Amino acid sequence: MSRLRRREALWFYLFASPWIIGFVVFLLGPMIASIGISLTDWDSFTAPKWVGLDNYVQALTEDPVFWKALWNTFYYAAVSVPLGLVIGLWLANLLNKGIRLRKLFRTLIYLPTLVPLVATAMIFKMVLAPSGPLNDLLGVFGIPGPSWLLDSIWVKPALVLLSVWGAGAATVLLLAAMKGIPRELYEAAEVDGAGPVRQFWSITIPQLTPIIFFNLVMGLIGAFQVFSQVYILTKGGPDNASQTMVPLLFDEAFSFYHLGYASAISWLLFAVILVFTLVAFRSARRWVFYETEVK
Amino acid sequence: MATAIPTTATARRVRSTERSVGAKRSTPFSYATLIIVSAVLCVPLVFVVSIALSSDQTVNANTFTIIPREFHWENFTRVFSTDLPMQRFLLNSVIISAGAVAGQVLSSGLVGYAFARLRAPGKNALFIIVIATMMIPAQITMIPQFILFKELGWVNTYLPLIVPNFFSNAFNVFLVRQFVSRLPSEIDEAAMVDGLGFFGIYRRIMLPMLSPVLIAIGIFTLTATWGDFMGPLIYLNDESKMPLALGVQYITSTSQALQAPPWNLVMVGSILLTLPMILVYYLGQRYLYEMDISGGSAGVK
Repeated sequence: MSRLRRREALWFYLFASPWIIGFVVFLLGPMIASIGISLTDWDSFTAPKWVGLDNYVQALTEDPVFWKALWNTFYYAAVSVPLGLVIGLWLANLLNKGIRLRKLFRTLIYLPTLVPLVATAMIFKMVLAPSGPLNDLLGVFGIPGPSWLLDSIWVKPALVLLSVWGAGAATVLLLAAMKGIPRELYEAAEVDGAGPVRQFWSITIPQLTPIIFFNLVMGLIGAFQVFSQVYILTKGGPDNASQTMVPLLFDEAFSFYHLGYASAISWLLFAVILVFTLVAFRSARRWVFYETEVK
Repeated sequence: MATAIPTTATARRVRSTERSVGAKRSTPFSYATLIIVSAVLCVPLVFVVSIALSSDQTVNANTFTIIPREFHWENFTRVFSTDLPMQRFLLNSVIISAGAVAGQVLSSGLVGYAFARLRAPGKNALFIIVIATMMIPAQITMIPQFILFKELGWVNTYLPLIVPNFFSNAFNVFLVRQFVSRLPSEIDEAAMVDGLGFFGIYRRIMLPMLSPVLIAIGIFTLTATWGDFMGPLIYLNDESKMPLALGVQYITSTSQALQAPPWNLVMVGSILLTLPMILVYYLGQRYLYEMDISGGSAGVK
């Protein structure tokens, strides 16, 4: 290597050192430690005791709360992510029409996503109260509203409702992507006699699939890690009906000091996220449309 | 206004309306839907304002209304004078967020530039690791990191919430790298001919050009730390160290039995938590669009 190239390499490692050090100290080291801890029984005060795969076996075979939390997390992800996407798409499509005051509507729809999650959870604690405004509204139509957060059947839909309130984030992304669709495609379709509905399904949707896919994957990963809402609104209750993976792992680690067990849960969570991400990427080959792939 | 000379912004607006008209026509039905949806989405926000303006009697009787009926504006000053440490919470939020933003902006620029421009053996392998780390959920490292910070004696200080930011993160490195990659490399070459070293090129040439992407990174970091709940929940026990996001929740969860939390003051806290985000979005949106992440997201295929 020439002197100049060596000097350049040296500067690269110097410039990149914050990330490299951070990677080793805050990621690689902790990951290895986490595998180690997950194989022990440890409360952080006394010496860790080696238990092998017991923590994993316990979670998967003996702990009913683990399975309940896993199921609740699936439920939340499976309902909230597609619902958020469909609503986002529908709103973006509405806004994309030559509508007056579009900027105002766009802002109003986006506003809820600017509210920090903690504040959102506080707000929904009031909105979803048994005598709160949502039930008042339902009462106007003669529907007796459930006591959302206290009812094991309604607590998950309540969390989904809260997530849908933030559908505006997806709307803005999708709207931006819609603007990027070449107008010629619509003109050509019009010449061929395609109506608005047909145009939506045959042009808008296929052109948007990359961004829909991006939202889907990010949404799934985010939904599997849901924490603040659950922790603030219900603490997993009633009767673990809203317990999800991260609050469960948080409680095990920081309330009960089961650090080994909590670490094992974190790896099981990682495994679940990985499987879902891989499935999404596999399926993407069938339905995600990339311009560059057209031969 | 109507006679103003068309600026690029208005020209762009004209073009985009032209484009969106075309095949699709707006109908009264679309307007009705949009009005209803916007109203439904904004009702909770109106409700927050209404609670924030309520008297203590209303709080105790739990007789809130969605549309404000009473206007106790003094609640907004009360949160700073009662025994609620709202002032302290706010200051803590500012300290933690400012530290985190400074850390990410300083480190991400350097690292991203290195990955985009400097040649070194092992660079590509490292970049693959950068991308791969984006997939690892934070929960995996949460417990060992807590133990690490506990050993360092950093629990119940701001440090665990600030220091890791000085080591950048994969997403920001990726953003900066994408941004730099699209700048012509002749700029660096010319600077080098003029005798600037690598740090000089970064400091004098690159840094000014990176400002849109660094501002965007600052906005992302600010949004994430300002509203962060789990981090402070893990690391801070003292009320006097808590940021607003944790403090506001803390007030509701620790109010005495048989006594309703001071919802009016809590909602003032929530408004204080939200206003900076609205301001940041309002001031920052042009940088977010200027940054043009669309080119960056092409790599997410």
